[in-house]
Amino acid sequence: MHEVTSRSLGHPARALHWLAGLFFGLALVFAIVAWTVGDVFFFRLGTEALIFAGLALSVDLLLGRTGLLPLGQALFFGMGAYVSALVLKNWSSSFWIAIAVALVFSAITGLIGGLIAIRSKGVYFALISFGLAQVVSKIIFNTRELGASDGMIGVPVAQIAPGLESGQPAGFFLVVLSILFILYAGLAYLMETPFGRQLGAVRTNEQRLSFLGVDPWRTKLAAFVGAACIAGVSGALYPMLRGFVSPELMFFQVSGNAVINVIVGGTGTLIGPVYGSALLTVLRSVVGSYTAHHQIVIGILFILVVIVLPRGLIGLAAPALQERLGRREGAVRTPILHAEHPQ
Amino acid sequence: MDWIQFVLAPQIVNGLAIGVAVVLMALGLTIIFGLLDVINMAHGEFYAIGAYVAVALLGAGLTFWWALALTPLLMALIGYVTERSLIQRVFHSKDRHTLTLLLTFGIGIVLEDILKLVFGANPLRVEAPISGATEMLGLFFPNYRLFVMGLGASIIIAVWVLVFRTSLGAMVRAAAFDRQMTASLGVPVNRVYAATFAFGVALAGVSGVLLAPIYSVFPTMGRDFVLIAFSVVIIGGMGSIKGAVIAGLLLTQIQSISSLFISPVWGDPLLFGIMVLVLMWRPQGLFGRLGHA
Amino acid sequence: MKLKAITTTPRINVKRLGIATALASAALGLPVCAMAQDASVIRIGVVTPLSGTYAGIGQQVKWGLDLAAAQLNASGGILGRKLELIYEDEEANPAVAVQKAEKLFQVSKVDFLTGTVNSGSTLAVGQVAERNARLIATTVSFADSITGDKCSPNVFRVNARAGMQSAALADWMASTRPNANVFYLGPDYEMGRSTVAAFKSAAEGKGAKTAGEVFAPLDNKDYSPFFGQIRAARPTVIYTSVAGNDTVRLFNQMSEFGVSNNIQIVGASGTVTSQNLPAIGKAANGFVTGVGYSPLLDSPENKKFIADFQAAAKTQPDLYGADSYGVLFFYKAAVEKAKSTDTDKVREAMRGLQWATPQGMKTMRAGDHQAMQEMYAVKVNNTQFEIVGKVAAANAIGPDTCTKF
Repeated sequence: MHEVTSRSLGHPARALHWLAGLFFGLALVFAIVAWTVGDVFFFRLGTEALIFAGLALSVDLLLGRTGLLPLGQALFFGMGAYVSALVLKNWSSSFWIAIAVALVFSAITGLIGGLIAIRSKGVYFALISFGLAQVVSKIIFNTRELGASDGMIGVPVAQIAPGLESGQPAGFFLVVLSILFILYAGLAYLMETPFGRQLGAVRTNEQRLSFLGVDPWRTKLAAFVGAACIAGVSGALYPMLRGFVSPELMFFQVSGNAVINVIVGGTGTLIGPVYGSALLTVLRSVVGSYTAHHQIVIGILFILVVIVLPRGLIGLAAPALQERLGRREGAVRTPILHAEHPQ
Repeated sequence: MDWIQFVLAPQIVNGLAIGVAVVLMALGLTIIFGLLDVINMAHGEFYAIGAYVAVALLGAGLTFWWALALTPLLMALIGYVTERSLIQRVFHSKDRHTLTLLLTFGIGIVLEDILKLVFGANPLRVEAPISGATEMLGLFFPNYRLFVMGLGASIIIAVWVLVFRTSLGAMVRAAAFDRQMTASLGVPVNRVYAATFAFGVALAGVSGVLLAPIYSVFPTMGRDFVLIAFSVVIIGGMGSIKGAVIAGLLLTQIQSISSLFISPVWGDPLLFGIMVLVLMWRPQGLFGRLGHA
Repeated sequence: MKLKAITTTPRINVKRLGIATALASAALGLPVCAMAQDASVIRIGVVTPLSGTYAGIGQQVKWGLDLAAAQLNASGGILGRKLELIYEDEEANPAVAVQKAEKLFQVSKVDFLTGTVNSGSTLAVGQVAERNARLIATTVSFADSITGDKCSPNVFRVNARAGMQSAALADWMASTRPNANVFYLGPDYEMGRSTVAAFKSAAEGKGAKTAGEVFAPLDNKDYSPFFGQIRAARPTVIYTSVAGNDTVRLFNQMSEFGVSNNIQIVGASGTVTSQNLPAIGKAANGFVTGVGYSPLLDSPENKKFIADFQAAAKTQPDLYGADSYGVLFFYKAAVEKAKSTDTDKVREAMRGLQWATPQGMKTMRAGDHQAMQEMYAVKVNNTQFEIVGKVAAANAIGPDTCTKF
């Protein structure tokens, strides 16, 4: 179902911004409550959910906005984590340096990966990204200097500002929340720019885009590098939170979970994946405490969403919300017809 | 000369045995893609289910031969039901490739966990029905593997004959080529699609049974073949039977022989590298698509 | 293309949001319930893989711990307080293990934690323990680094480590097959390589010779490409450090091709275990390895332990079950000696502590928190692990390389 609104290509922007505001608002409420009770665990769990929400954002940039399905995005996430851990352990415990190095590294590797992968689309792209992640994670798994299969422990806390470091549950939660907000806001804004339109055009009909004089290949490459950077920065936050890295951060399970988070949350809505990450991280933790077979539950939920709700939770909620917001403003109600593609 | 007889030759013959296994897997995958345009990420899980079905049948007292005969029938049933109830629902969407990939991905996750739930996480044993080994030209070769090679080759030939030389096969190919037209000619296209998927799944299941005595049975066994099967299908050309066979045999030979010179750990990355190169320079693979070839 | 007017409002989303909110509040609500706890109970957290490839090991760990807790509670608990075990599934993934460990420390407020299986998880959870000022003990992880260069003041190990296992095996090999010609086959990753390297140096130190070495990828399907090499090297012994499903495939294929005829196969302790032995079947007969426990150990304590375990779990214990059973008695002895569950006091009590286990007396070495015990060489014979060699604790343990405390 496509709704044509006046602002963006197929997304009810007002509703999405409202929902985004809701999310960050709820996160702040959570932070205040948890801080008053002096909690540690839920802050860290929440921070972890936000870090993986960043990964989900990077997947959505590719899947929802550029039409490329990445099955190996954990590669950049994990590499960002390893780079950050190495910087913190061996060079400087500054938060900013670790993030900066991870960003640069992700951009370079994103470029290399993109040059390999971008030529293909659809399932071929998915398989190349899957294969890349497999190959590189295997190499890391075997490299003794990087801790091999045990990973590296002993990553010190990162110094963010005088008096603020990553070991503080509440403080770091707010820092990560702010970073996620900046990433989300940046991406949302980007989607409104001409570049954002190009991405949408690539997703809808790549051939026509080249008739307009825009090189789709460059657009896709830029999106790929951007997604790699977002994933890398998110990954860089992980060792600051948990104090260690391990090769499992690059395994297919992480990539697969990110894709599931995006689909359940709402492909293409940007805030949907963030919601999806948060919800599913909690769900996995809760269900995992009851049964060892939580994958069945998550898998069935995912299948249901793909069949019944392909736009995801937010994808379903947003248009309805958009309507309500429009109605409340007392706009003149002329039935707007929209085009619907057969599902 | 010694090196050729005692090192290279056994390596080639071993590679053939592995190659036949890989081709059987790739065949099911390429038929499902070529005819249905469905990317079956759960193919590995169906392979595993085939092996577990055989384990269950053996546990119920049947012999291996009965298990080998019955498993494909049961797998075909499972495949048919899966296609009608789940895959057909996303079939008519514009995003069919992505949605079926995601759907089968989800199905794979659930199936793997169900196997763990029902059979436990520990590996299980299937006794090979044929024991002993033959010695030819100084090479020592287990009889069961020779049997697998032979049966595998027969199955591959049978599939080719079925698809290209029977009217059933013609119907299936027509449905893949032009769905509307075929439907208007009175062919029950939905059932043909479901049956094709079932067939591909049955092929995976048969591979599972055949290979169980060699590679043992455990819940994550599906992952063994996923990357290599997809690589073979892509390099051979998605939907091309000829491509799957040639690429399958060729690539396993490359892996087998190269392990004599470079560390075997690089076997899978090597294959992956070849796949990437093929995708960059000849995206339709060596032999293009079944429906259109 | 269908055209549809805008006036309809889908109602499903409200229900969905409701469910999501309910789930979220349930998740937050659960721990609040957990916080209303009985202060007179000693809570032991167990983070162990209950799903995934290592679920079999996790199950043995659970059986061992459950049996020990039941027995201890029946005889009055520790310092008059009952024991409560709280389980969390770590899925053999250090990232999950860390999350669950923190949950147990922070929310369930456990006094002590155990159960981690793979070394990556043990090391990462050890860090969490340091942050939370609690102690953990592992009963399965055998990587030397855990009580070696990556040791931690909050991590103890009650099971034998890789070096001890190698020592027992090398000793047996030197006495039964002096100057053997050994071929090494291992999985190509850090653990596989270092296990091979450790045994190789122990064996060469006792006069063995190396016929060749090859490393196969982890999760390798087919080992037949390596058999030509092995045959050409004409070894008298093959040492392998593969594990789990890889062992099943290797052994079955070796027997298929007749590679193992008249060759002694030896390997790491994790190569043939109760989890994969049924699948290997006859092909495992004759395999020898070095371990810290066998159900065939002939002592009254072991016989009673096996009878109790069999009654409770309906199956025989293996070395993971036995070591996990023993860890609670270790904790009990330490807490009773310290007369408190305070972390620093218990740590002090644990150093140098001796306690009784089904394997006899173990001693916890103070310098690196590694348990010392008599080591055995065992041979597989029709699914039984027969004891064919013994090495005294002091000779097996190896040097203390921990410098952190």
